[in-house]
Amino acid sequence: MGDVGQSTANTSNKEMTSNQDELILAQQRQIEKEISESIPLVGELEPVTSLSSEYSGDDIYLAKVNDLAAKYSSMRRTRPDGNCFFRAFTYATLERLLGNKEEFNSFYKLAENSKNVLVELGFQQFTLEDFYDTYMDVLKRLADIDNVDDARRELHTVFNEQGYSDYMVVYLRLLTSAQLQKEKDFYSCFIEGERTVADFCHQEVEPMYKDSDHIHIMAACSALNTGVRVLYMDRGTGNIVTQHDLPEGCTPTVHLLYRPSHYDILYV
Amino acid sequence: MPTLETQYSSRSPGVKRLMREAIELANATEDYYACPLEANLFEWHFTVRGPPETEFEGGYYHGRILLPPQYPMQPPNIILLTPNGRFEINKKICLSISGYHPETWQPSWSIRTALLALIAFMPTKGVGTIGSLDYTPEERQVLAKKSKSWECVTCGKIAEKLLSAEAASSPALTKEESSMLENIALKAEEDANRKEVNNLEEAEEIKPKGRSVPFIEPEISQEDSLRQRNLPTTSQAAELLQNEITDELLRASIERSKRDKLWKMVVYGIIAVILLLIIRRLFFI
Repeated sequence: MGDVGQSTANTSNKEMTSNQDELILAQQRQIEKEISESIPLVGELEPVTSLSSEYSGDDIYLAKVNDLAAKYSSMRRTRPDGNCFFRAFTYATLERLLGNKEEFNSFYKLAENSKNVLVELGFQQFTLEDFYDTYMDVLKRLADIDNVDDARRELHTVFNEQGYSDYMVVYLRLLTSAQLQKEKDFYSCFIEGERTVADFCHQEVEPMYKDSDHIHIMAACSALNTGVRVLYMDRGTGNIVTQHDLPEGCTPTVHLLYRPSHYDILYV
Repeated sequence: MPTLETQYSSRSPGVKRLMREAIELANATEDYYACPLEANLFEWHFTVRGPPETEFEGGYYHGRILLPPQYPMQPPNIILLTPNGRFEINKKICLSISGYHPETWQPSWSIRTALLALIAFMPTKGVGTIGSLDYTPEERQVLAKKSKSWECVTCGKIAEKLLSAEAASSPALTKEESSMLENIALKAEEDANRKEVNNLEEAEEIKPKGRSVPFIEPEISQEDSLRQRNLPTTSQAAELLQNEITDELLRASIERSKRDKLWKMVVYGIIAVILLLIIRRLFFI
């Protein structure tokens, strides 16, 4: 008796799990869709104090927002889709470079030569070229605009066009992966478990929508030869936001605000 | 009729990408061929050759590839149309590279990668994943033979789509691709192991039978659990461990039933006392 009951329970359980998997996936997609429809990929400039409205009644966060507002005037929010670090980092880097022709040109050269490393690492050439071409296209389009304000407006438009914006993200993910693999002896100490650096790259760096950690940031910084300062705002004790420069001791040119699993861009 | 070039805005990187892929895949190889439908760049039809030295050898398998609007940020969906005994037809396939597992898809993969993954995945065990079928090798061989004359409503005779072995030269696998294919095989095996643990309880009753024949091919049987036990991949060490776990489960359930009996006794006792009290009240006052 009991056995019969159990085996039917098991079969229906199995069906349930597969149905539930699909339901969970469908629900997850729905949530993702709702998020993406409500928040632009990269938002307009807004004062740092606008963060206060998110934390009304939360004294720890409010104190930290005040501290942040003393150091930074404004910020840009990015869409929380797991790509936010890569999108924010690329946007902020390019936005700054647009104001400095010389630095922009040397960045352009760096990007131009970046493909060969990726080819050597064995990425499929023609899909790689697809991302590379689009990346360089965007840089060219920006370089061709003389007026800085116009160029920044174009940057903003491009980064809010899903197709282009995601292509920029993919290319930085590839460059980051390449950097990790190039210096795998160094980075392997930061990877938990028995994963190799290559495995880690395939599972955590190259796929879209995967959140970024310290290790991603370090590699991305060194791939683009850019220093970044991250300001951490969480429920930890103290009234001030902690800051971290990557790589350590650099002069940061990009400033990012980190709140648990999300990055936004900060402006001094 | 509008051509593909005029129908879509080639400003969209996704569209540009698909056009590139169409050019890359325009020439059939020995193992695979795919091209977009005339009217829809986001739906392709493909043909793959059954992998040699497997029960799919000599078969030709045709299907559809549905590309999401976010391609290549999100993976293509694969649907097989030719009966093959490994995957259900007319149903999106569960392959770690296709739509059901978007988290493992990488934008630097392509339709070619998806087809290579499909071919590599065919001889792996289905073990009850979505869209999988557990036909016997003999049944699959019969289907492989039949597939030679199978026709697609849109594409016609599919066996003619691929090049013959002599004429073809498939592009070599990139390092990235071979590592991806390894991962897929690995994923399939991991899934098989996980499934076995899930089936432990069911396997209990037939354990002795299963243990004596660990290396034979699966018999035709509806008993899912029996098949699990007969998987040739089961190593003896894993089996020992499993037996231990099963024993433990058994012991736990005996313990549980003992505890249940105790509680039953207590409940009966209480009921008896209440009855006694009621009787006393009714008759002795």
